[in-house]
Amino acid sequence: MKTWKYLVAIWMTVVISAGFLIRIPHIPILEESARNLFLHVPMWFTMMIAFAMAFYFSIRYLNDGKRIWDNKAETATAVGLLFGICGLLTGSLWARFTWGTWWTFAEPRMNLSALAMLIFVAYFILRTAFNDAEKRAKISAVYNIFGVTTIPFLLYIIPRQMPSLHPGAEGNPAFSDMTAPELRLIFYPAVIGFIGLAMWMMDILNRYKAVRLRIDK
Amino acid sequence: MTNDFIQEPYSSDVDTLTKSYSDQWGAMDKMEEASGFVQLMASNDLIFVVLGVSLIIWFTLLFFLVRVDRKVTKLENDLNSKEEEL
Repeated sequence: MKTWKYLVAIWMTVVISAGFLIRIPHIPILEESARNLFLHVPMWFTMMIAFAMAFYFSIRYLNDGKRIWDNKAETATAVGLLFGICGLLTGSLWARFTWGTWWTFAEPRMNLSALAMLIFVAYFILRTAFNDAEKRAKISAVYNIFGVTTIPFLLYIIPRQMPSLHPGAEGNPAFSDMTAPELRLIFYPAVIGFIGLAMWMMDILNRYKAVRLRIDK
Repeated sequence: MTNDFIQEPYSSDVDTLTKSYSDQWGAMDKMEEASGFVQLMASNDLIFVVLGVSLIIWFTLLFFLVRVDRKVTKLENDLNSKEEEL
């Protein structure tokens, strides 16, 4: 196992512990659940990075048609979707105790992020529709480029134009005055840690796929 | 007429549930006699218990991830040595 993986393991352990142990100021409504910032928001950051990687790999595939790019694009999309689903579930739980509901159709960011996840579920359904590996890779790459392009609109641009309870709406920055500055001390390391964890998961999946390809030959 | 056939409610010897689910929760009793570790875990509105649970889950997932990583590495090495033999 490479050194950076040990670093990710230690880093994440420290971040999780520190996230519980630091003193945070009293924030109305959020109370101690403000600590969710260290977990819920990095899910979406990590998902963005994973999808951006999938976007890049899909373009590389269309460029030279090498199988490895298709494998990497599929892996990045799978890990991104996994983190996105975690983001949706944690957001729903958090919403129940701050907004008072598990789900509301009045909340644009909530619904548009669910829609974004459906786009990537469809990616994997699309992949199962082909027996020919080359056809599957080509059409999946085109679909993925389209799919990732919708993400900034669905998760950033549209929700910021609409009235919403979610921080980051109506032109507010996501760290509004109701969020304490101390939280950033754990938040940014948590983002780095979760991205490292995602890289580790992708690495394992990609190596597994490469080994399978060699055995099949 | 006697009431021999009517059992007193919750008086049976085999009834172990009534007592354990009674309103006498013993976890916080005699806390000053408990070990330092237990006293620490019980402080701050039990937030350290949540930390403990989170770390158990994290270490379990980490253990799994490391194991799968090692297995793939072994598979890669096996394949490499087989290809060298050929």
